[in-house]
Amino acid sequence: MSQYQKVTAEFVKALKSAVSGKVMTGAEINEDFSHDEMPIYGKLMPEAVVEAKTTEDVAAVMSLCNKHNIPVTPRGAGTGLVGGAVAVDGGIILSTAKMNKIISYDEDNMMVTAQAGVLFNDLAADAEKHGFLYPPDPGEKFATVGGNVATNAGGMRAVKYGTTRDYVRAMTVVLPTGEIVHLGAPVSKSSSGYSLINLMIGSEGTLGIVTELTLKLLPLPKEVVSLIALYENLRDCIAAVPKMMRANLHPQTMEFMERDIVNVSESYLGKSTFPQKFENKDVNAYLLISFEGGDDDSLDGVIEKASEVVLDAGALDVLVADTPQLKKDAWAARDSFLDAINSTTKLVDECDVVVPVSKIPDFLAYIKLLAQNYDFTIQNFGHAGDGNLHIYCCSNDMEIQDFKKQVSDFMPKTYAKAYEMGGLISGEHGIGYGKRDYLAEMAGPVKMRLMKGIKDVFDPNGILNPGKVCCKL
Amino acid sequence: MEILVCIKQVPDDSVTVHLKANTGEADLDGISPVVNAFDTYALEMAVRLKESSGGAVTVISVGPEGTENAIKSCLAVGADSGYLINDAAFNNAGAPEKSKILASSVKYLEKSTGKHFDIIFCGKEATDYSYGQAGPQLAEIMKIGVVTDLTDIKKADAGVCCKQETEDGYRTVQTGLPCVVTVSKPAYDPRYPTIRSKLAARKMEIPVLTSSQIGNITAAKTANITLRIYEPPKRKCGVKIKEKTCADSACKAVGMLADAKLL
Repeated sequence: MSQYQKVTAEFVKALKSAVSGKVMTGAEINEDFSHDEMPIYGKLMPEAVVEAKTTEDVAAVMSLCNKHNIPVTPRGAGTGLVGGAVAVDGGIILSTAKMNKIISYDEDNMMVTAQAGVLFNDLAADAEKHGFLYPPDPGEKFATVGGNVATNAGGMRAVKYGTTRDYVRAMTVVLPTGEIVHLGAPVSKSSSGYSLINLMIGSEGTLGIVTELTLKLLPLPKEVVSLIALYENLRDCIAAVPKMMRANLHPQTMEFMERDIVNVSESYLGKSTFPQKFENKDVNAYLLISFEGGDDDSLDGVIEKASEVVLDAGALDVLVADTPQLKKDAWAARDSFLDAINSTTKLVDECDVVVPVSKIPDFLAYIKLLAQNYDFTIQNFGHAGDGNLHIYCCSNDMEIQDFKKQVSDFMPKTYAKAYEMGGLISGEHGIGYGKRDYLAEMAGPVKMRLMKGIKDVFDPNGILNPGKVCCKL
Repeated sequence: MEILVCIKQVPDDSVTVHLKANTGEADLDGISPVVNAFDTYALEMAVRLKESSGGAVTVISVGPEGTENAIKSCLAVGADSGYLINDAAFNNAGAPEKSKILASSVKYLEKSTGKHFDIIFCGKEATDYSYGQAGPQLAEIMKIGVVTDLTDIKKADAGVCCKQETEDGYRTVQTGLPCVVTVSKPAYDPRYPTIRSKLAARKMEIPVLTSSQIGNITAAKTANITLRIYEPPKRKCGVKIKEKTCADSACKAVGMLADAKLL
């Protein structure tokens, strides 16, 4: 039986009078609110949805819910992959999607302040118009920046620029008690006590609800060129990665992909970009690498050196995507992997492990061998530059219960191997609801106790996003 | 087979162009110049024809300084040589004058190199102003045949066999040589340069032809007068129909069309 109170008509009335945003119940709630992008973890409808318009709306909801012991699940665009934005024990979904204004730019200090519900895509495009680069580059472009902060999203440019954490200067947060706090500052250094802002980043909406962010920007690079290095096998492909890192060429992105997933994606797009043969040799793996620079001439020198590195490391050849159309086509295939899998597969589950770069081939060899024991098939791709691998279990003909049972046998072995190799359970998708039990198993009792202790300090009544990360229902 | 490909450098067509508020002219600041997309299709088709039938591909472009880079990008994907036609006298040339400049350039190149071009490839139109005149005008000036809107070409006994896109589908047209062809979007995409071909192309020289070589093409009285340049009106957002079943969605769509008196 749930430890929480149910949402009553009287409570809804109180909510409606407390907030300026829309409050929805029953049939008014769109089915989309019952799941995120990974519905395999369960579809559960909330009792009410509040579309907050202001920080004060969020504070009013938290204050009321804290007082009445009603759980609140924060939600941005609902594009998560671990069930983090699903109301697993009913209560309220608090959507920040309508808090989508870019508030101001501080061009001298290269920062932008935006509401948490601004979509990553909109922020990145707007920053570009102002002559800036917002460096995080998660695969899901239609997530909110608040959601990016909640999961410490990384993406393809993480190999050069790091993850979202590295670009959050300050934030406004509503605590589960309804208190509004401002964390961080528009400065580049801090040695000012415990870093609460860093605790909030990656906490997946379990410690507080971020409503406003001040984010660091960089000058916009003038030119970007991508290379596609062709390999006969994955081992050669990954072996080039540390060599590239040591060559001091600072690639902006470095993605690996195998022939199978490229086939799925190209079939989905109806366009073939990546060659399957090179001088009668089968091409089975690709490294997609981008470099940025001030002008074409300086970039030519960089890509020439980079090509020498990958060719010396066993690449069959290197293709150059140096026009807008060629770059678009090369990246379209990479950007469509998840959509391609979802559009062609009935049952999907995934993991997002991160391992040391040099361990990628051994880890994937283990996974492929392991997968032979199950009825589902495996698709994988990932960020070669930072060892973050996305492994998808896919089936079109299994019964869902059997699929879940087999996946629940496969996943712990996968995570155990990642840990054994020095890795972690998630590089950028988070833990949410779907990976909570695996985190407990992998992190161990001491770390889980510390995490739970932190959670209790922020959320003494346990009403914010219950059942996620370190909290069991 | 000697093949000539005419290319044009245009602003990147993936970027939305707006008008300058003060002058009303297209604001192209910061938009990268690229080879016209249809010209890249023409080049790929020409290179494939060369690879299957032998010969060489020459690229020419009438354009400002800096167009050498566009020509070099063509050399990196299979063209064998390239020429830039650049002269201050050609700066204000309109479409008919540019076709005359191209025709004179062909004559000059044939005379100076001893080559005789069997086929001249053009894109079916440029993505900047979409006039679609260069190919047919060039054929008219040179008094040779033209086949427009190709999606494929093969060498045939007495010439070439072309797959032409029509409003209803496709038809096959066979023509003798020499001829001009204009190219639409084929079933394949232009190839990527390799690092080796790109570096080799970078080192190649692009000779510049001027009016002293090809003659001073004087502008005839223009047949076109530009009255006004304006941005197209913004289209209204569409309506998303997402009912529980496909049948319900279809019924709703038909109902909306009926309500709008469109059925």
